[in-house]
Parts: sequence; C-alpha cells; structure tokens
Amino acid sequence: MNGHCNVKVNDTVEEFHSNNSFSDLLIDSKKSVVHRKHETSRKKDEDQSRLPALEAAYTSILRELGEDTDRQGLLRTPLRAAKAMQFLTKGYHETIEDILNNAIFDEDHDEMVIVKNIDVFSLCEHHLVPFFGKVHIGYIPNKKVVGLSKLARIVEIFSRRLQVQERLTKQIAVGISEALQPKGVAVVIEASHMCMVMRGVQKMNSRTVTSAMLGVYLEDPKTREEFLTLSRSA
Amino acid sequence: MEHSKQTQFGSSDKKDAGTSSVVNGHCDGMVKRPAGGPSQPPAAESGSQRPVMESWREDRTRSVEDNEISLPSLAAAYTTILRGLGDDPQRQGLLKTPWRAATAMQFFTKGYQEKLIDVLNDAIFDEDHDEMVIVKDIDMFSMCEHHLVPIFGRVHIGYLPNKRVLGLSKLARIVEIYSRRLQVQERLTKQIAVAITEALQPTGVGVVIEATHMCMVMRGVQKMNSKTITSTMLGVFREDPKTRDEFLTLIRS
Repeated sequence: MNGHCNVKVNDTVEEFHSNNSFSDLLIDSKKSVVHRKHETSRKKDEDQSRLPALEAAYTSILRELGEDTDRQGLLRTPLRAAKAMQFLTKGYHETIEDILNNAIFDEDHDEMVIVKNIDVFSLCEHHLVPFFGKVHIGYIPNKKVVGLSKLARIVEIFSRRLQVQERLTKQIAVGISEALQPKGVAVVIEASHMCMVMRGVQKMNSRTVTSAMLGVYLEDPKTREEFLTLSRSA
Repeated sequence: MEHSKQTQFGSSDKKDAGTSSVVNGHCDGMVKRPAGGPSQPPAAESGSQRPVMESWREDRTRSVEDNEISLPSLAAAYTTILRGLGDDPQRQGLLKTPWRAATAMQFFTKGYQEKLIDVLNDAIFDEDHDEMVIVKDIDMFSMCEHHLVPIFGRVHIGYLPNKRVLGLSKLARIVEIYSRRLQVQERLTKQIAVAITEALQPTGVGVVIEATHMCMVMRGVQKMNSKTITSTMLGVFREDPKTRDEFLTLIRS
C-alpha cells in the first residue's frame, strides 16, 4: 500500500489473511510499514533541520581556504556541498530490516552464491575524502536465499558512512550473517583511497584489499579458495 | 600620453576585475594586470615580444602563514560538520579528523598559494625547435567547486615552440597550480592553456582534459563510467585543422 495505511482496509485484509493463516506475515508487514513511514519522515526532517548548520560550516571553510564566497560559481556551493555530504552519509539512517523488505526466500540450495563487482563508494573517516572500489560477496545459503540486489543494498547501507575499509568489510559480512544465518559469508573489498592518491604519499595505482570470512569460509580453506577463484575470474 | 591613457584604461580594467569576474585569481582567462600595465587580449593572438614578467603579477590569495592561521577555524567547521551528519566527533576514529580534513582540504587547494613565475623557475630555454612537443597522461586531481568533491583524470598538453621551449616537468607543474583549486573543468583547461601561452609565447597550444567527476559518480545521477572531456586550442592549433588533428591523434596513440 506504499506506506499509506488506511486502517479500515488493513483491518479487513488482516481478517481475511488471518483466516488463511497468513496472519503472522501480515501483522509483521503492517507494523514495519507504519514503523518505516514514521522513521522516514523523521529522518528527512532531521536532515532538513541540520542543513543550515552544515551550510554555515561550509561557508566558513570556503572563506578560510581563501576563496571568494560571493562569486557566481560558489554562491550555492555550501548548500550543495552540505546536501552532498548528507547523501554520502545516508547509511547512518538506514537499517538492514528496512532494506531487506522481506526478500528472503526458502530455497533448497546449498551451493555458493556470489555477487561480484559491486561498485562501492565511501568516505574515509580520517580525512573526509572518498574511497571507492569493488566488493565481491559470496555466501553459502542454509535453506534461505536473499534477493540479489539486497546484497548490494546492504553494501550501500554500510558504505554510505564515515568508514574505515576494514570495518566496512566486517560490517557487511556480519550484516549478511545476521540477516540470513547462512553457513558462511565471504566479503572482499578492493578499493582505491583518494587520501593516498590525491594527497600524502600520492601513489596513483595503489589499491587496498580487505576481506572478511565467516563460518565455513573461515574454517574450510577449499571453500575459501573456490570463492576467491570465482570472484577473480573475468 | 600614450602611457597615461593606458594607465587609465588599465586601472579601470582592474576596478572591473575587482567587482565582477575575479575567478581563481584569473579574469575569464585574462590575467589581472597591475594598474599601469597595458591591457591586451589573450596573449595568443598577439605575437609581440613584450617582457613576460609583467603579466604574471597575479595576486596570490593565500600564503603559507595564512594556512596556519586558518587551521583552527577550518577544524572547528569540520567538527560542526561531523556533528551535523549525526556522527560522534569524540569517538576514536574521528578524534583528530577535523584537523586532518582541514589540512587535506588546504592541500587540495594549495594552488591558491602558488604563482606561475615561481613554478617555472626560469626553465625556459632557447632551442631552435619548431615541431610539436606533447606531454600526455599527466594525472590531475582537482575539486569540484559546486560540491567540494574530487575530480580526477588526465591532462594532455601540446605546444608548438617559437624558438623557446619549456622544461617538461614545468608543464606538469602548471597543471598542478591550476588544478589544486576549486575548479570547473572548462575553466581549468583554459587556465592551463593561457598560462603556457603567457610563459612561452609559442605558436600554438592545445590542452585536452579527460576526467571523472565524483559528484556524478558517487551521488546525483550516479553514472560510474562517465567521463568529461574538455579542450582548449590556442594559436595555430585553433586555426589549422591539420595541426589540431596531429595533436589529437598523437595523444590517442
């Protein structure tokens, strides 16, 4: 119902479904829809209310850098930069329950599932400069598979924050683990850090690779090897 | 008399420059001239042998001392930003972030501290060479002035010397001065071309920049593989299509 909960309609539907033993599902989804709607509007307001302070901070930054904040190109830059920064850290507002959207299905599948080359963009928490790269995720389902795009959405939640690549890798792995309880999860991230490329040591071609192996990927070297081979192949 | 007329013109020009289009220390591709200096159209069109020094008196908008002085307020602004984003500035990973981010930002805009004449370091040599000189694949990193998010890519520069050649690394240093600022790719391309023209008075200059804009990749439309290409052709590169062709072919190979 797209978040519009007309109570009367819902009651009727609920009655119907509880007669058909779908009541558990429906009650859950009703609660989460209401909950979700409430949360979304609160988050939007929060962002809106914080915008002026962010704008003021950016205006001060521009001035301290020696720029002329009244020139045409910079007139609305504080607002744009503040909104951009809020977008780049929108992961703070999102939770896994929200985005999973009940896209967990019972499938009698216990072979590896890999989604690779997921583009990831995050912000280095030490310099507030982007780092970006690719994530490869593999998991061995335990009778429950997840919608494939949800893996990418989980990456989005955790990457759109002020991050450290090690922590990001772990959070993605643990997030998937908690959502699905699979037999094992493996996450590999290969990224380029602008804080190393644009400044500091200035090594253009450097890449940082981190990985997190949970469950059977940690215990069984052969499984791990299979994942690494499959995620590397062209 | 001639001189006083020019002075008048020069000073009013400067006034105009002060109120309207002072952009990154450059007025729409024309250099700010001190009062009393002759005001001329972009150097490429004039083949005169006026002394090069005169036109390089661009004012720096920042100095190294300014950097030190503004660091605390920059750090305070970044602390506000961290709080405004909903994170906790007191947690271990973020404790010194305001200072690091402030220093990083000052580094990304260090072009404001640099002047062309310092960077060139007198590395202009008389060489009886009038064939094309190309330096390509110069890595470039800049900041988008609209979103304060990085732009990175490659610059390809070609010029036809007019009996004077420039030290090759100086071309890359010229790229650095103008790219380490809050920029718009079109303006960056033009500033590099105009700077080389002013330094050398070559027969022609061509600059091509191919860059990826994080503001398009990380946010907004989110098109990962998009690239923006801009070019500036001055002098014989603009007038003669064959020269331009040769330049463009050589940078592609």
